[in-house]
Amino acid sequence: MIRKSMLLLLALAFSVIAVAPALAQNPIEVKVWIAFTDGRLDWAREKAAAFNQQFPQYNVIIEGYDNYETLFASTALAFENNTQPSVVQYFEAATQNALDAKTASGEPQFKPIFEALAGREEVNGIRADFDDIVPAVRNYYTIDGQFASMPWNTSSAIMFSNANMLEAAGVESIPDTWAGIEEACAKIMAMENAPAHCITWPNHGWFFEQSVAQQGAELVNNGNGRQARATETFIASDAAIAFVSWWKSMQDKGYYVYTGAQRDWTGTYNAFIAQNVAFLIYSSSDTTLITKDAREAGFEAVASFMPHNGDVEYVGNLIGGATLWLTNGLSKEAEDAALTFLLWFSNTENAAEWHQVTGYIPIRTSAVELLEAQGWYEENPNSRVASAQLAAAKPSSATAGALVGGFPAIRNVVTTAIENILVNNADVVETLKAAQQDANRILEEYNLLNG
Amino acid sequence: MNVPIMAMAAAVGAAYMAWVFRQMQRPFWWGLGLGALTGTLGSLLFMTPLDFCTFEPERKPMDNALGVLLVLAGVAIVSYPTGWLARYFLARGEDRKALRGEQVKGAFNAPFFVPLLLLAPTLVILALFLYYPALDLFRLSTLLARLGTPRTAFRCVDNFSRLLDPNFTIVTLGLLIAALVILAVMWFLRRRGDVFRNDVYRTLSSVLPIVLLFLLLSATLDLFEANYRSVVFSTFYIAGWTVSLGLVIGLAVAYLAFQPVKGASIYRTLLIWPYAVSPAIAGIIFFVMFDPVGGIINHVLGQLGLGQPQWLKDPWLARWTIIIASVWKTLGYNILFYIAGLQNIANDLLEAAAIDGANAWQRFYHVVLPGLSPITFFLVITNITYAFFELFGTVDFLTRGGPAGSTSIMIYEIYTRGIIEFDIGRAAAQSIILFIMVIGVTIFQFRTSGRSVSYGA
Amino acid sequence: MSLIPSRWYIHLLLWLACFIIGLPLIYAIIVATQTNAEVLSFNFSFGTALERNWDAVMNVRKLGNYMLNSTAQALIVTIGKTVLSLLAGLAFVYFRFPGKWLVFGFVLVTLMMPTEILIIALFRFVSSLGWGDNFLAITVPFLASATGAFLFRQHFANLPAELSEAAQLDGANPLQFLFRVLIPISWNTIGALAVIQFVYVWNMYLWPLLIIRDERIQVVQVGLGALRNVDASLTYGPLMLAAVVASVPPVIVFILLQRQFLSGFAITRDK
Repeated sequence: MIRKSMLLLLALAFSVIAVAPALAQNPIEVKVWIAFTDGRLDWAREKAAAFNQQFPQYNVIIEGYDNYETLFASTALAFENNTQPSVVQYFEAATQNALDAKTASGEPQFKPIFEALAGREEVNGIRADFDDIVPAVRNYYTIDGQFASMPWNTSSAIMFSNANMLEAAGVESIPDTWAGIEEACAKIMAMENAPAHCITWPNHGWFFEQSVAQQGAELVNNGNGRQARATETFIASDAAIAFVSWWKSMQDKGYYVYTGAQRDWTGTYNAFIAQNVAFLIYSSSDTTLITKDAREAGFEAVASFMPHNGDVEYVGNLIGGATLWLTNGLSKEAEDAALTFLLWFSNTENAAEWHQVTGYIPIRTSAVELLEAQGWYEENPNSRVASAQLAAAKPSSATAGALVGGFPAIRNVVTTAIENILVNNADVVETLKAAQQDANRILEEYNLLNG
Repeated sequence: MNVPIMAMAAAVGAAYMAWVFRQMQRPFWWGLGLGALTGTLGSLLFMTPLDFCTFEPERKPMDNALGVLLVLAGVAIVSYPTGWLARYFLARGEDRKALRGEQVKGAFNAPFFVPLLLLAPTLVILALFLYYPALDLFRLSTLLARLGTPRTAFRCVDNFSRLLDPNFTIVTLGLLIAALVILAVMWFLRRRGDVFRNDVYRTLSSVLPIVLLFLLLSATLDLFEANYRSVVFSTFYIAGWTVSLGLVIGLAVAYLAFQPVKGASIYRTLLIWPYAVSPAIAGIIFFVMFDPVGGIINHVLGQLGLGQPQWLKDPWLARWTIIIASVWKTLGYNILFYIAGLQNIANDLLEAAAIDGANAWQRFYHVVLPGLSPITFFLVITNITYAFFELFGTVDFLTRGGPAGSTSIMIYEIYTRGIIEFDIGRAAAQSIILFIMVIGVTIFQFRTSGRSVSYGA
Repeated sequence: MSLIPSRWYIHLLLWLACFIIGLPLIYAIIVATQTNAEVLSFNFSFGTALERNWDAVMNVRKLGNYMLNSTAQALIVTIGKTVLSLLAGLAFVYFRFPGKWLVFGFVLVTLMMPTEILIIALFRFVSSLGWGDNFLAITVPFLASATGAFLFRQHFANLPAELSEAAQLDGANPLQFLFRVLIPISWNTIGALAVIQFVYVWNMYLWPLLIIRDERIQVVQVGLGALRNVDASLTYGPLMLAAVVASVPPVIVFILLQRQFLSGFAITRDK
């Protein structure tokens, strides 16, 4: 009666547990976690569908996460309870962590691609051609000359200018130095129908790192962590202080607008498209979208190199973006399935198309050639800028980028410090020095546990 | 082993237990012996796992102080229940029954394992998913431990002492002086005779708890180092305004909705539904409403010529955005309970007051408010719980703790440290600090709700 | 009797209060039907994009699936906790057994242990059980609570002792007594616990955020996060639509059971 029906209800409810995770066992499943939930997720899913058709023995499933930081944390949690996928997209700052990370039983969390390939030139007929990868990407991601992860989305920090606004203000050429930006801003803000502010960019540690590299300075010791494990950070270096001081002065003059949140890609993007600012320093990842959205909003967006400190020699910018990592402990079949997808996903055609829909640089020389042949760059000059900026960088430890443990946490320290400076008017030098101490402690603790 | 510390603990335990035995009119040296034992055991409670690390020679005074606190806490945890038991066994038959509490009438005659069997699922789940993690939290808080790194290192109480930097501010001092002055005046008035008709005395006695509360909050804030202090401050600030605004507005609306008008139940339903909306969804809706570009709030303010406040950019405005969202979210709950409470206050009581010639405000102030004090107390506790824990969802969708950490409340900070930055040890230490606060509030709740709060009925 | 004479005044104020409290929801519903362009033009009427937004929410981002998971989770926890709490209440009120005060204290102390505080350690423990990405992780830890046990303990303790004495004379065993006598007169309390639990579980956010990553078993509160950027031209609409849709089940449960909800709290009966 009541009792029976209650028990029945309970049994019914619990049966959901059994049904929910039921999987179709047949094709080998390759779970891929990426840090996009927008059109880029849809693009990746389209590609996965095409791949699954070409290789019916495999089933690639792509799941999207809000951003790199969330994905990084989620993956770490997943390894804690053994629910990690086959492939994870880790941002550049996570490289050292990915190399060091271990599961509870002490096994490495990831398997370097070259190790999984074990000398094979191709998997399932898909060629593994790493000589084709462009130098900027190779310099960053190769450890001892070999790829530990599969390059996918690589960008650089570039600037977008509202050409119509510049013309109206009488700014003739797009400025490329800090001083130049200030001059242009003075003109723009003096206009009759001046925008609310002149310039913006997200408060993301990556722009800080870009600027430090531009000035030829390293972020951490031991050759930016590339000769030996880094043991000390230089967050309060002269280059860093110069950049953040300039940043703060731009805000004080009313030129720079802070959107109020760290890593606020959306807010800064919207400010530029809504023509609330004339300049936007941003990732090249959205070049195609920015150009298109600007046109729809009735103005021309022109891409150029990220402005640098004119008082010191310009050394060059570094890359950003992410690579795809293969998790450890997969069966041989599952590992080959994942490898096949990784190689196919970054083949010439896909690399070229990926560049076209987003603005990430084409990571293969062959893809660049393909795009040239198609006349893509003629029609889309903005798309050339990121690659050109990376090619212009003088090879050095500064432009190779830092390799350091606990980098995501160190970035957090940097963005928090900068936010404190922007929002609470904290002193630049003191705040950066305190941040450097915090970062050093994070690094010291990291090295103690991973060294 | 650390003999002086253990001896100190033994002495404290002995003194307490001797006092208990004296109270029960038993020879106090029995108490001395028992207390020395519980004191020693108490000192070992925390110090065995810590291996007396806080008293190592190279430790800072802060660590020593924390060590002494831990030893005293251990002594209390072991001695207090023992004292309670001693009282129980030393009491005579009648008192013993009183101490044991209510007697069961109509109980089933069943072997002892039957009730335990009925309780087993509950007990097992509580033990596994609450007690075990709670103990593990203490262990984790002594470690340098990171996600993705199986290796850990013992850190004694470093995770705690890094959060502490006692530094008593002028605010605390002022409040302390104010409290002392009030106490002195009250004491003075009392000595002069009948105080219950003295308006000054009555005002002072109602102001005193408020001053003491602020003194407690301010002193708590002063314990922490600057960064963590601002986290604790945001937590208190947001919780304080959420609770007080939520209760005042809730009561005002409830007073309206309680009036016997046509369609009262429809009004009621339209007023209380936000209780069921999740904190995360409240965050989403208010995020869009307060959006500087597409949000309705700034659009309306702009139309009215009131400017464009940067809600999510300014630390204070961001805190207020969170407060507004959480007041909205808890309002339904407060209204519901206040309506119920108002219905409980006997109508004849109000009628009698009306006949006495009290006007509406007097009736409200002297009859309704005191009658509602048990419900108010209940709502204060549930609203505090809401603001401390469930607000996480709102913060995560509305501000993500920003700008400049101004809305990063304690639970959000635990998440940021432990999950986003992988720093399990520090997150565990912060969890324990929050734990201590919850224990404080709960003990306060038990002590107060045990007595009658209301004198009105 | 009426305390305030002019009633139209009360109606007006009440309408105003209902309107202000309802404003966020009204706004959310309007935005849910609009495109971004319509949102930005501040047109306070229904827009043209309801269908597109619905498609984005239900087909592109699978909100329906998240809702199903949340429903299953809320039902399992609500039913499971009610059963366990009934059993615990029965044991506390209708039995004598050695160490009862100890067991009582054991349950009582857990009132001071909100799951949120233990989240770091709980995550490690549940992970070590191998329950990551498993429905067990978001149900089993919540099947028992001090609140539930004490709610029924208090309710039973207030019932006349003659009930159980009569049942024993009839030769009923404790479970028969529970199901035939206690439950039929306890529906209000059961309803109260059910509302609290259903709403609590449905609105749970932090724990599933940590422990569940498989989209197929993710719950709705976390799933909402995936709607923050669906498509550049459709950011507000789908988000608001999802927020409204995801609020419907708990709000309906709450409104239907509001009377039980109140009566479950002893506070309204005692002084």
